[in-house]
Amino acid sequence: MTDDLLSYTIDPALQPDEREDIRTFLAKCGLDYEIGVEAFVVFRRKRHLVACAGLEKNIVKCTAIDPEMRGEALGLRLLTELIHLAQDRGHSHLFLYTKPDCVEFFRSCGFYLLAEVPGLVALMENTPIGVKAYCDRLKRLRRPGAVIGAVVMNANPFTRGHRYLVERAAAACDWLHVFVVAEDVSLISYRDRYALVSSGIADIPRVTLHHGSEYMVSRATFSAYFFKEKGIVGDCCTAIDLLIFRDHIAPALGITHRFVGTEPFCPTTFKYNADMRHWLRGDVSPSPAVEVVEIDRTECEDVPISASEVRRLLAADDFARIRRLVPATTLELLETKYRAPRSSAA
Amino acid sequence: MRLRRSMLFLPGANAAMLSTAFVFKPDTIMFDLEDAVSLREKDAARMLVFHALQMPVYGDMETAVRINPLSTPFGLKDLEAVVRAGVDVVRLPKTDTADDVRALEAEVERIERDCGREVGSTKLMAAIESASGVVNAVAIATSSKRLVGIALAGFDYVMDMQTERGDGSELFYARCAVLHAARFAKIDAFDVVFSDVNDDAGFLKEVDLIRRLGFNGKSLINPRQIDLLHNAFAPTQEEVDYSRRVVAAAEQGEKQGLGVVSLNGKMIDAPVIEHARVVLRRAEASGVRQ
Amino acid sequence: MKIVREALAGTLESSDLMVRITPRDGELAIVLQSEVMHQFGARIEAVARECLAKLGITEALVVIEDKGALDCVVAARVQTAVSRAVDEWTADWSALS
Repeated sequence: MTDDLLSYTIDPALQPDEREDIRTFLAKCGLDYEIGVEAFVVFRRKRHLVACAGLEKNIVKCTAIDPEMRGEALGLRLLTELIHLAQDRGHSHLFLYTKPDCVEFFRSCGFYLLAEVPGLVALMENTPIGVKAYCDRLKRLRRPGAVIGAVVMNANPFTRGHRYLVERAAAACDWLHVFVVAEDVSLISYRDRYALVSSGIADIPRVTLHHGSEYMVSRATFSAYFFKEKGIVGDCCTAIDLLIFRDHIAPALGITHRFVGTEPFCPTTFKYNADMRHWLRGDVSPSPAVEVVEIDRTECEDVPISASEVRRLLAADDFARIRRLVPATTLELLETKYRAPRSSAA
Repeated sequence: MRLRRSMLFLPGANAAMLSTAFVFKPDTIMFDLEDAVSLREKDAARMLVFHALQMPVYGDMETAVRINPLSTPFGLKDLEAVVRAGVDVVRLPKTDTADDVRALEAEVERIERDCGREVGSTKLMAAIESASGVVNAVAIATSSKRLVGIALAGFDYVMDMQTERGDGSELFYARCAVLHAARFAKIDAFDVVFSDVNDDAGFLKEVDLIRRLGFNGKSLINPRQIDLLHNAFAPTQEEVDYSRRVVAAAEQGEKQGLGVVSLNGKMIDAPVIEHARVVLRRAEASGVRQ
Repeated sequence: MKIVREALAGTLESSDLMVRITPRDGELAIVLQSEVMHQFGARIEAVARECLAKLGITEALVVIEDKGALDCVVAARVQTAVSRAVDEWTADWSALS
């Protein structure tokens, strides 16, 4: 009792023939080949590719089944192989973007819905207790009050602008929850960013500092944020992240307001702030609305302070100007650990 | 006398197939821990088969397990599991010499003693998959009292012979050699898998050939092939009628304490009586050939 | 035995189940999802618990995605997941039946 399906794993970087086959197959299924995929599971019948699924770290991508072979059996085998492949590669917690009409199929593969933008996209994770367990932990940190605020910051690096935002937000709330984006793909490591925020806001009362998570401005919930230099910002890529915040995180902590700095420089963050009103306050979710409060950035010599400006100055080794934008702890860290190597002539 | 016409192979890692195979009623259910199981799933398949063997669903069917060769890291672990789980027959793949069987037998006996199973109750089957195995077929077939049969496995054999599967002529010598060794040792002989599950005509042609050669049965990979095979092995009404008369005569002779059995004035030899019993068993199992 | 690493066993296919076992301190938690939750949910969990008890597993998080597996398949998958999640698999076969 066997069948004639062959399944195996490929590395698209090392197997160009297979990669091109997958590209052709995906195109036939109306999907794009995504260059970040590090490993594929493929199924072949005779010599024909009939199904594939890829992994970029812990995110499932490029999942397709030959239209002629659609039926649950092959899909379940495909996802089984992919989940085992991910496990072998050290990823047990997986995320998957799909069209809303495929949610039911992926549900049968052990994936659970995190957020859905009707008609456009859904994000799922492969555990029934992922976001729930995370929110259960958050619930223990709930604070009483009528106005409970939240700030989510990458702090890459922490500037006087971040400090100003937290000060102003905290003053407007009964309690403020500050989250540091945990995804470790920024110039400044997560460890350093968290430490700088921690020391930078330690003296502000009625504030809880939280570690970020995969459910908040992460590669999974908001991959465009981390590739913003490429200028790829889809219409719904912010929606998923914001809906998870509204549906899961805000109710866990009783958050009523989310505070953001105005964004004059970075187009991705600018769009994120604009979308925030729609997805956190609009009639797009059964969860309670979260008010969005934009706070004007504090300025230095008429130029708003931003982390991207600090990074630009860091690349130019202009510490004289960095000094004016960041607190002492950040300055010291940048000087000792992140200073760009000078050319020998300088 | 046990009929072993159909030996249905099931991939040991496939829970659905393991859970339902008994409904197809092959003579022997062969759980495969070897070629049908990927390296990653060797442990999982062993555990599944360990449990599947203990399901109370097999009735008259014989259970067998193709273990991995003892030279691999999996073989002995497979054996520990399946002997303890009460398997009827252990199939040893890639049997090249009689010593391979004897090594297996020693381990089986040790495990039987360890777990309190009756020593000798685990039967063995050796699969011959190489030129060496074919050349040593007689020694292999007579190497252990536990052996109930030897099987030719075509895929590895034709590679070892530097040829490929074709119209069957490539297996001509091996089939004859394995069959003679089995008959000499008075054990069963089994033919190769016919892998194109959609080619019923080709399958039946091959079944007809091996039945006429004298094989007891054949390995199968699709349950659809079971009824086709059983029907092809079923005797004609004529054969049944004749065999009934032979067996009746033999029984009468026995009752009267006669040393010689005769039918229609002719003496009937023991092999004729034995063959008549086989024919009646096949008819009892699947009726007459349609 | 002690669960020292996360491990996975089984498939999502019909009549099977996928078991994921994770180290956890202080409790044994089983999270079960099943296509036949209504009729067999309690039964599947009982089989899993019995398997874990026989193996001496008292601390772990076990997440099960069941597709209508027979009891013996549930047992086999749970045992396989445990065997992959411990440093030294010392179970006697008699504890697995």
